Amino acid sequence: MELPVSASQVKIVCARSAGLAAVGEIIRLQITLIILLLGLGVGVLMGLLGIGGGIVLVPALVHVLHLDQHMAQGTSLFILLPPVGLGALLEYRRQGQVDFRAGVLCAVGMLLGGYAGSLIALPMPSKTLKELFGCFLMLSAILLWRKSRLDAENDRKDLKLNHG
Amino acid sequence: MADGLGRDAKTLAVAGVCGIAAGMFGVGGGALLVPLLGLFLGYTQHRAQGTSLVALIPPTGILALLSYAKEGYVSWKTGLLLIPGLFLGGVAGGIMTKRIKPERMRQMFAALVFVLGALEALLAR
Repeated sequence: MELPVSASQVKIVCARSAGLAAVGEIIRLQITLIILLLGLGVGVLMGLLGIGGGIVLVPALVHVLHLDQHMAQGTSLFILLPPVGLGALLEYRRQGQVDFRAGVLCAVGMLLGGYAGSLIALPMPSKTLKELFGCFLMLSAILLWRKSRLDAENDRKDLKLNHG
Repeated sequence: MADGLGRDAKTLAVAGVCGIAAGMFGVGGGALLVPLLGLFLGYTQHRAQGTSLVALIPPTGILALLSYAKEGYVSWKTGLLLIPGLFLGGVAGGIMTKRIKPERMRQMFAALVFVLGALEALLAR
């Protein structure tokens, strides 16, 4: 990728000009680009898999942008605040794959559960939290794999009934 | 549905568990919600994913975010820069699901999450 500046004269973009004076930070153009592309990539996964993107975002923030584990998690929660999944949701709705009643109930449960979870995580050391995060991801994966195999079995039974 | 209330209670319980994980790990909770909706409430993968997206539209993480912000654990600028890409990418991903079988999607999802999880747990510093 060709950037408009050489590596030796790193261009500084003033945050104030972007109307973000409240943050009062100065960031480099390259990092901005990386972050924008990162967002796009995670967004594709989000729509493809029906997830909020946090499970991909948190590791990306830690390893690509070198944020601390707590900082990455807090930032991820901020990113998930606006309805970034709205576009993906509309695609699912067009295909009739949405249960709105259950979705709203889940939102209520997660609002309260989320607060409890943050109270548990904040006093933890970053390393412990990271290890637990990894275990959480693996648990999600195992649950999903089991479900996948159950469904495959059911599909075979249906096939037998229809053709037998 | 005769057992509508029992089902609602079950949904709330599942969501509460996902919420605790979401607040603890700074995620939306969809990663856990999708498989749990499938396992406990019998949703197909596509329907579980669509329903999970509904739960992620309202700002469910706001209470958790406030606790993180109080401790200074939020990088606001990075967050703002990530949002537009996420939205556009999300639309693209939603369109792509039409061409992929549920079985295949589940496997992709599970594999991705497992590898990420193993890396996080093993490389924790």
